[in-house]
Amino acid sequence: MSVAEAPGRAEPREAAASRLSRKIDWRVFAFVTLLLVLLYQVAIPFLMIVWTSLKTVRPGEPDFITLTFSLSNYVRAFSSSSFWTAAWNTLLFAGASTVVSFVLGAFIAWVVERTNTPLARFIGTMMVARIIVPGILITVSWILLASPNIGILNLVARDLFGVRNFFNIYSFGGMVWVHSIEMVPLTYLLLSASFQSMDPRLEEASTMVGANNWRTFRRIAMPLAMPAIGAALLLLFVTTIETFEVPLLMGGRARFRVFTTEIFQTTSRTPVDWGLSSTYSVALLALSILLLVIYFRLLRHGESYQTITGKDFRPRRIDLGRWRYFTCALSLLLVFIITGVPLLVMIYASLLPNWQAPGIETFKSMTFANYDSLFSTPAVLMPMLNSTLVGIGTATIVVLIVAMISYFVHKTQFRGRRMLDYLAFAPIAIPSVILGATFLWFYLILPVPIIGTLTIIGLAYLTKYMPFALRFVSNSMMQIHRELDEAAQVAGVPWHRNFFKVMLPLLKPGLLAAWFWVMVHAYRELTVALMLARSQNRTAAVLILDYWEQGSFLKLSAFGVIMFLALLVIVVLSNMLGKRYGVREQY
Amino acid sequence: MISVAGLGKTFQSKSETVHAIRDVSFEVAAGEIVTLLGPSGCGKTTTLRCVAGLEKPTAGSIFINDRPVVDSKHDVFVPPHKRNLGMVFQSYAIWPHMNVLENVAYALEGRGMSKADMRAEAMRALDTVQMAHLSDRPAPRLSGGQQQRVAIARALVGRPQALLFDEPLSNLDAKLRMEMRKELRRLQLQIGLTSIYVTHDQSEALAISDWIILMKDGQIVERGRPVDIYCRPKKVFTAQFLGATNLFPGTLVALDGQRARVQGPHGDLIGVLSDPELRIGAPVQVSVRPEAIRMASSLGGTGQADANQIAGRLELAVFAGNAVEADVRVGEAKVLCLLDHDADLKADRDVVLTFAAEDTLVLANE
Ligand SMILES: Nc1ncnc2c1ncn2[C@@H]1O[C@H](COP(=O)(O)OP(=O)(O)OP(=O)(O)O)[C@@H](O)[C@H]1O
Ligand SMILES: [Mg+2]
Repeated sequence: MSVAEAPGRAEPREAAASRLSRKIDWRVFAFVTLLLVLLYQVAIPFLMIVWTSLKTVRPGEPDFITLTFSLSNYVRAFSSSSFWTAAWNTLLFAGASTVVSFVLGAFIAWVVERTNTPLARFIGTMMVARIIVPGILITVSWILLASPNIGILNLVARDLFGVRNFFNIYSFGGMVWVHSIEMVPLTYLLLSASFQSMDPRLEEASTMVGANNWRTFRRIAMPLAMPAIGAALLLLFVTTIETFEVPLLMGGRARFRVFTTEIFQTTSRTPVDWGLSSTYSVALLALSILLLVIYFRLLRHGESYQTITGKDFRPRRIDLGRWRYFTCALSLLLVFIITGVPLLVMIYASLLPNWQAPGIETFKSMTFANYDSLFSTPAVLMPMLNSTLVGIGTATIVVLIVAMISYFVHKTQFRGRRMLDYLAFAPIAIPSVILGATFLWFYLILPVPIIGTLTIIGLAYLTKYMPFALRFVSNSMMQIHRELDEAAQVAGVPWHRNFFKVMLPLLKPGLLAAWFWVMVHAYRELTVALMLARSQNRTAAVLILDYWEQGSFLKLSAFGVIMFLALLVIVVLSNMLGKRYGVREQY
Repeated sequence: MISVAGLGKTFQSKSETVHAIRDVSFEVAAGEIVTLLGPSGCGKTTTLRCVAGLEKPTAGSIFINDRPVVDSKHDVFVPPHKRNLGMVFQSYAIWPHMNVLENVAYALEGRGMSKADMRAEAMRALDTVQMAHLSDRPAPRLSGGQQQRVAIARALVGRPQALLFDEPLSNLDAKLRMEMRKELRRLQLQIGLTSIYVTHDQSEALAISDWIILMKDGQIVERGRPVDIYCRPKKVFTAQFLGATNLFPGTLVALDGQRARVQGPHGDLIGVLSDPELRIGAPVQVSVRPEAIRMASSLGGTGQADANQIAGRLELAVFAGNAVEADVRVGEAKVLCLLDHDADLKADRDVVLTFAAEDTLVLANE
């Protein structure tokens, strides 16, 4: 190389180097910011619960932030019988609901994925579609259906057979039934994925060596499905111990108190018993962490079974012969009970001038009066708008943050990137009641005036929904080859440009799935919103609870129908928007 | 030993009806290995799965050792676990929750054997495939070749009446495939087990089989010994599927015993008549394997009376290790030749291709 050439060559290289350094700065900046945000968001609930449980004064008092601790709250909780009753009830309720929803969900998943039952696709779609029906509406509709004295089924039974109060939904059995029905779609989703990925060749190989169906089921199919089944059972159990709607609406009259209702009661009655409430929370949190640790163990165990997969994979459906009409009818009945009944009850009640059992007279008297009166009350509009704002806003921010997290975790070599993953995933262990309570307490201390605004709800939701969104996005991030990002780096494209122009578009399917999931759940969420509710930031689900407490079931039903329709419109519209921009969603 | 007659299988779905196989009949004699060969989707796996009992055929019958296992006319269907067959799947289907020994020993369960006997039998089977030293290894930690051996041991251990293989080598890399191919053949000759073997790889089929059955679109095209079916195919499809071949269209104009004269755009060609049904005036295809062709730079005496000669232009010649591959343009057609590796590689010159009449086959046009 000649000397004269050298400077000319060196210049672009230098420019490239400076571009490189600028780009790395940006990435480091983004990484550190993300880490701090996560630390802040995730540390609040964990720190606040433990801290409060060790304090004898309430958050906001000067002594709360000093370093004097006491175990008196624990002594108080452990020596009271209501703590142990709540603990026992929680386990009992969770155990029973897990079993019931598992049996129903597993049956439907098996019918849809592994048999030649007619209408299998439709049954599967209806199961998944149920997630847009708010949980509180399901609970309310079953109460309207089977509560003593006013329940539709009881009224019909009285008129037809003269029996009084045949059903009593305000009972342990009733609570288990309603909550199980609500969880069946989740069970279905958890199991249908693993039923799909089971290699039918493994069972056929067993048949070929002379094992009959029973032996094949016992020695091959069951052991192989065990990790997935165990994981599903655990997740259902954890979901139940954290659940709130059913214990809140039904537990009182059924005289059945669980941890979540105890926590809610102790924080919502005056004077608030912060210490006791946080002690209950610590117990509940410890339980869910324990279960989740086992859950992840099982999942990893299950993955080790999936290392062998064949090329000639072809799903095998069991030919049920004539029985397939039976399984079809039974599944349709279940779908009707799970998805159809709540909606029908809501619609029915919303059209009544006053509460009565169905009959010709009733149908004649139906009016839209409830809707009219709703639309003429301006107070109704606000919660609707709040839910929409919180749903869409939370979903968008969560998805962006989660996309960055999974980018750093899966596509870069930063030290500490695993930390992001763990931090974003940890909140899965925090029950909603606790999440709501701790955010409230924290901002009672912090001189930032966001209590009573949508911002505080959004912040809590950010923590709550990150873990779920992260699963969706990580899966599609892992499918994008690292070289795509590296190519952009080598070409000298600034990092943020590359992230928005290359990564996000490639991630679209995963992002969209996550966005829908978060939007729907944030829109209909009750527990956190209730804990953080003041007059201005009440959401639609909180308003429903208000109507419930006032005893205005008919208005409630009309509002429920509108809420469901609004959510449906949002889902359909954003789905269309997504399609318009070239996204075909996976779910 | 195994006899399949008039087998048919139709898959019915909402949108379409797939005739996966139609009127498939063949016999497998005791101790022989018969290969079902054909392009992807031609119905090999379906045929094999019908024999195994994993698929219920819609027509036809299957007899194993003179016992009917399927007879769609008399509604006979013996379920797979009562047929006493061994099967090696394409994906091997090794049970991931068991170790190597357990995978093999499981095949002996339900026969009233003691645990110790089962273990001993399983170890013997593992020994046959040289896997005894890995008997404690968990199944997910086996390499592809090792999984394949375990799958074979598992299929062998119950002393089945016959073995069924569905593309057992297609998941292995090229080198291992060559080794395992020979080893499978050795094992089969040693044990003398009746086998049906499915593959879409023609060289594998040629190497491993006693008989080859060639399939296309769910039907049998042709069957024969490997040498015969390769050297003297009866159908154009067979000639094309089993290795490369050059085809020249034409009309049959004269017959002299086995010798046939064909007139076409490339002049008169003389070859062996493969199909005795052919009559004068029939449209035919003349097939010549690339390795049967010699190349010279001018027309001239070949020393043989009935040698064929075609003039063409050498477009490209490349060195391919054991031979020189040459593309020669003859009119519209391109002819592939495999020449000695000392051949002249200079391209863009006029050449004359010569091939003996006994290396030339006259096939019915399809
Ligand atoms: N369960 C099924 N439902 C519908 N069609 C099927 C089914 N199984 C096979 N087929 C169809 O039947 C035909 C034959 O399939 P088969 O698996 O026997 O092919 P193959 O010869 O084994 O192919 P390959 O070499 O790719 O394994 C194909 O067209 C296939 O699509
Ligand atoms: Mg196949």
